[in-house]
Amino acid sequence: MSKSVGAPIEKPPLQGGRRSLVDRFPYLYVLPATIIFVGFVAYPIIWVVGESVRGADGKTYVGLEQYTRAFSDPVFWRVLWNMFLWGAVTIPAQMVIGGVIAYLIERHTARSKTFFRVMFFLPVVTSVSVISIVWSQMYAPYYGIVQEYLKYLGIQFSIAPLGEPGTAIFALIVVNIWQWTGFSMIMYVAGINNIPADLFDAAAIDGAHGWSLVTRVVVPLVSPVTRSLLLLGVIGTLQTFPIVHLMTDGGPDHASEIFGTYIFKQGFVIGDTGYSSALSTLVLLLALLLSVVQIVVLGSRVSPHANVLSPK
Amino acid sequence: MTAQIKRTGIRKLPFGFYAKVLLLAALALWMIPEIYMVSVSLRLPDKAFDPALFVLPVTFDNFITVVHDNPLLRDFWNSLVITVGTVVLVLIAASAFAYAVSVLRLKRTMLMYTVLLTTLMVPVASIVLPLAIMLKTFGWINTYQGLVLPYAALGIPYAIVIIKAFMDDSPRDLFEAAIVDGCSTLQMFFHVALPIVKPALIFVAIWQFIVTWNEFFLALVVLTDSEHKTVTLVPMQYSGMYMANPGALFAILVIIALPLIVLYVFVQRYFIAGLLTGAVKG
Repeated sequence: MSKSVGAPIEKPPLQGGRRSLVDRFPYLYVLPATIIFVGFVAYPIIWVVGESVRGADGKTYVGLEQYTRAFSDPVFWRVLWNMFLWGAVTIPAQMVIGGVIAYLIERHTARSKTFFRVMFFLPVVTSVSVISIVWSQMYAPYYGIVQEYLKYLGIQFSIAPLGEPGTAIFALIVVNIWQWTGFSMIMYVAGINNIPADLFDAAAIDGAHGWSLVTRVVVPLVSPVTRSLLLLGVIGTLQTFPIVHLMTDGGPDHASEIFGTYIFKQGFVIGDTGYSSALSTLVLLLALLLSVVQIVVLGSRVSPHANVLSPK
Repeated sequence: MTAQIKRTGIRKLPFGFYAKVLLLAALALWMIPEIYMVSVSLRLPDKAFDPALFVLPVTFDNFITVVHDNPLLRDFWNSLVITVGTVVLVLIAASAFAYAVSVLRLKRTMLMYTVLLTTLMVPVASIVLPLAIMLKTFGWINTYQGLVLPYAALGIPYAIVIIKAFMDDSPRDLFEAAIVDGCSTLQMFFHVALPIVKPALIFVAIWQFIVTWNEFFLALVVLTDSEHKTVTLVPMQYSGMYMANPGALFAILVIIALPLIVLYVFVQRYFIAGLLTGAVKG
């Protein structure tokens, strides 16, 4: 990340009494971010780790009991599987659809470019609670338009997409893909614009057209964006909550349970602080593990921006 | 194939026409949920459950009913205060931190930056319980600061990454010249560093605004009384109330979704510019 060179900037020369407080205590610059961060992220993390070795009342020390409980809890494994499915389907789907749309927009439209960029991004901007209710209505049995229109394609559900254990998670995944593809699209728009125009001309002279241009020039050159989308996709997957909470609440019978809804239920509905904290700690460990693996394998690119900035 | 090779400009390919048709078809499919939302909100009560995308006749009665019956303005005010507060706090805290790391290069700040990066991955779900307990202890449930501070905490790391990347890329001579001219670090911060990274600040502001405005999980836990609810919590509140009258419910959804969509249409130029500035620099 740090390609910064050169010595630290010397302290400014004294000019009478004009030195301000921050000049005397330059660490004041890092203070606000640090305080907010320590208070509202670091402390809660330490708290959940501490509580995870306690019983449901949050007092008695129970060692690793809450963790062994998690490992023998079939719902926990269901949650893990659902989270895996969620990431494994949404991330590539959003990349491919978003990437294709971005490519078509950037290479084949001129005056309508802004129009398409804005329209495909609208679901990202639409409030997730609004989206959840709209899609619930679309998936509804009897009057939902999803079933009504899928009938013409010969697809039928016996109850409703959200009501069947086998389809609920996939029905939610579709909503997630619909909402977030625009984000992948906009990132690829930046990535494609990052490719120097003469490179396209050179590729064209070399005979790269259509499909071969895409696979041999575009895909490799936007790979920094792809990598950051992978990382953001993993974060997004672990962050998933409103869509599931509002549309199925993890049901039917935990079939679409995810970390967010399960922790929420244990912590706020049942009130089992210990188990909820153990689950939280496991999510944190999983997040840490996944980010370390990705950073080791793919490099320390953490933001699409820093990415776009230094595509090395 | 050989005939195609002779063409020089990619944009002149006849494929461009099919690309536009393909894009329009994809867009039509993609817009179905948004169109459906508007469509249901414009229906008469007896037509609201019709399983079709478009239903006639169109009525605006639902909008009149819900605006008349509900304190939506208060909900918008709550969202606005919390969102603007968060955006301002994130911008100030993140840019000052990035400045200390990237420009001033204070000792140990790079280490702090690295620690911060590892928490980019922290899912809200894992810290929502301690946050709720903590805010309860402070008496901050149902207060603006009860959401602004956690939102800022979750937004700051990402904002720092972006602003720092822009500062890293800005010419170092500018800062050295400012020092030679006798600028204090504070003057340099406001007059050199911040203007240089303006595209990054605008990008961060827009993105943080969208994310905060739409945040649901923490809002659900922290805002329990209807006086303080933000607009994202409103649909849930009304979905029971208007169960039998989806037209009215969907009118509320449209009212809630619209301001951010309109805002994005207006600022998207700067949002994209922020993204592309990075691209051009690289």
